[in-house]
Amino acid sequence: MLRCDHCLLAFPEREAVRADVGGAARVFCCTGCRGVAELIAAEGLSGFYAGRRWDEPGLAADPERPVDAAAFRDAVRRVDGLAELDVYIDGIRCASCVWLNERLLARLPGVASARVNYATHRARVRWDPAAATLEGVLGRIRAGGYDPKPYTESERQRAQDAETKDLLIRLGTAFFLASQLMIYSAALYAGYFQGMEPGMRRLMEVIALGLTLPVFLYSGAPFLRSAARGLRAGRFNMDVLIALGSGAALAYSAYEMAVGGEVYFDTAAMIVTLVLAGRYVEARARGRASEAVARLSRLLPREARVRGRGLVPLAAVAVGELVEVVPGERVPVDGEVVEGVSEVDEALLTGEARPVAKRPGAAVIGGTVNLHGAFTLRVTRVGEDTVLSGIARAVESAQAEKPRLQALADRVTGWFVPAVLVLAVATVALHLVRGAPAHQALMTGIAVLVIACPCSLGLATPIAVLLATGEATARGLLARNGDVLERAAGATHVVLDKTGTLTRGRPVLREVVLFEGAPARDEVVRLVAAVERRSEHSLGKALVEAARALPGPDREVQEFRAVPGRGVRGVVEGVVVLVGSRAFLAEAGIAVPAEAIQRAAPFESGGDTVLCAAVAGRLAALLVVSDVLREEAPPALRELRELGLELAIVSGDGAATTAALAVRAGIDRVVAEATPLEKERELARLQAAGARVLMVGDGINDAPALTRADVGVAMGRGTDVTLESADAVLVRDDLRLLPALVRIGRRTTRVIRQNVFWAFIYNVVAIPLAVAGALHPIVAAAAMAASSLFVVGNSLRVRTWTSAS
Amino acid sequence: MDLGFLIVLSLALGLAAWLFFLWSVKSGQYDDPEGPKYRMLEDDPEEAPRKAERKSEPPAKR
Repeated sequence: MLRCDHCLLAFPEREAVRADVGGAARVFCCTGCRGVAELIAAEGLSGFYAGRRWDEPGLAADPERPVDAAAFRDAVRRVDGLAELDVYIDGIRCASCVWLNERLLARLPGVASARVNYATHRARVRWDPAAATLEGVLGRIRAGGYDPKPYTESERQRAQDAETKDLLIRLGTAFFLASQLMIYSAALYAGYFQGMEPGMRRLMEVIALGLTLPVFLYSGAPFLRSAARGLRAGRFNMDVLIALGSGAALAYSAYEMAVGGEVYFDTAAMIVTLVLAGRYVEARARGRASEAVARLSRLLPREARVRGRGLVPLAAVAVGELVEVVPGERVPVDGEVVEGVSEVDEALLTGEARPVAKRPGAAVIGGTVNLHGAFTLRVTRVGEDTVLSGIARAVESAQAEKPRLQALADRVTGWFVPAVLVLAVATVALHLVRGAPAHQALMTGIAVLVIACPCSLGLATPIAVLLATGEATARGLLARNGDVLERAAGATHVVLDKTGTLTRGRPVLREVVLFEGAPARDEVVRLVAAVERRSEHSLGKALVEAARALPGPDREVQEFRAVPGRGVRGVVEGVVVLVGSRAFLAEAGIAVPAEAIQRAAPFESGGDTVLCAAVAGRLAALLVVSDVLREEAPPALRELRELGLELAIVSGDGAATTAALAVRAGIDRVVAEATPLEKERELARLQAAGARVLMVGDGINDAPALTRADVGVAMGRGTDVTLESADAVLVRDDLRLLPALVRIGRRTTRVIRQNVFWAFIYNVVAIPLAVAGALHPIVAAAAMAASSLFVVGNSLRVRTWTSAS
Repeated sequence: MDLGFLIVLSLALGLAAWLFFLWSVKSGQYDDPEGPKYRMLEDDPEEAPRKAERKSEPPAKR
């Protein structure tokens, strides 16, 4: 086997394409890869090879196939006399890919600029229409071995982006004004202690008012609007408290300014600024979540090879047409095989770890990968009716229905706001009854509102969450938004996917059962692996992997032949070796004794795959291959149980396989053969029974369930779609991070609770003074500052606690 | 120095910073927070080829 110098694919020697590129002899798997390497060398971009980090080999698209530019034409804009296009580049795997694409595009004559976004893989290309064409630009991307696809952005995504940007401008404005304001507030505080010329003081106050008004009216506008909506609906939400607190501080200060008292403009500005900062961080995290659905649709090829019509855009494919699928390609639509035999990898859609054999009459699902043979299918469903679209819809609806966890701080404000309002009104009434002038009674009431509104409440949650997520990230646990930690803390059930989550997701050679007259175990494994090395089969890879651990050179194989879905045959050093199903051996005229069938039975009923190996015309061994439990799974599961969580397995795989694994993992709640939608429904059922579910999965088939779960956790090796629909990602792919997530969540919640207490306590102490109308201005200022300091200081403890364990 | 002048100066500086901020948001400086940490490591476009030929061999074949 050789490895392609460009795409890193392993391929048999006879297919090698040799060429002299960049002054050295190179070997490629196809002329396409040679072309890409020549282009890179010609442009002087060979630095790409040193920097790239490709986890998986292969190219996203055949560099020699032209791109259909029609799908992009509408997306081209005119900007400053130049043409501009946003295009999604498929196949970008590392920072060097971004570098290469930018350079390749920028060096195309006529291209003015090319910039690729690292996070979204969207390229923005500008070119001079007189010197370059759309076809040229797209062709350039394809020539580099990447696949240009139209960049589609849903309406919701666009609205979300706009909202985030709007929040950023409001936040930035608030920050600039508040920092200016601090200068004057500091001067005023100093003046309070040291005395200040009345004229100067008036000037400072006027400037402070001028700086505060835009913060309140412009930066605070989202709160004011939301508070008005909340009040009209009779709900006292956090925004009502913020609007009330900052508004009261502003009104009170303006009044004091008129009568010559102390002003608190800084309080009004600070409340708005701090809370806005929290909102911005939240909006950013949420914006990324909506990428999930967009990426699902990108999974499907954009065109299909329709018999008699050639390459046709997917939208133009009709039910009943015949579509050809070549090896290594994704199946473009749902259909039924009418011709050809192959094996299809459906793991991402069904959870089935083994490749599924497809013969005429079998149903295939769009989005799955064709592994071996070419076949033709009759289209049965297109567009919105396909299985993949169904999953996309399920993710979308689960996302929309997912109840936002009412944050602790919000729950507190629910009763706090009415209480404060009642108190303020009572204060006004009290002072009126006792004969105070109306304006003075009113101002005492407002003072109660100001002092009661804890501005550090806006900080209580965000700062604890920020520190905790930072801590979690350092351990390889990515939380996509803040309330994940609070949700994880409250979880009662953990639901695990099987393939790829509890297990490694790829088969491993577990056992070799030898028969009389067979060579030694290691020798059998080596012989079998020599033959399997030539096949692409995932079960074969398990054998090759097992042989790799053994000493000795690789053997040469002659007369290799593979029968999809049955087995492989080859001649190793003059000995005929067959590996495959019992039927495959029987067809080759090799007797499989009853003893062998008997010994295979217990493995097969346990969900393992048993392969038969024949050496020199005799059955030599049974090879037991199965997907094994991750090594760290048992301790991780034990820890989760110790934390008081109930465990369950929901798998798309067969009942026997799932049950066998559940026994090994020690879990007794098992749901097998679940479709993606059934998985989601199972979770909904648990939730209806009052459970808070933490779901862990890795495949597309888990995406709807992950979205539905209270906390969806994706394995780091999962697909893009799964990562995007999850709330948290185990970057290190280590199940022990699950109990860590629950622990960090519980600690964070505890700290938030304490923060809320500290945010309130000083204000609560000061309220009686305000009610009595005897609030000293400096006590008010000290209470505000002290509660903020305590909240920040207490939050820092999240870090020391988690790192101690 | 005249205090009034200092006040006007500080407000003017703040305003300038704010306008700069507005420009940076509108021109998309915050759209790709991931990128800069990688771009920082890149060679200058003009230098890349020279360096590339010196030390970046494609991986040797196996």
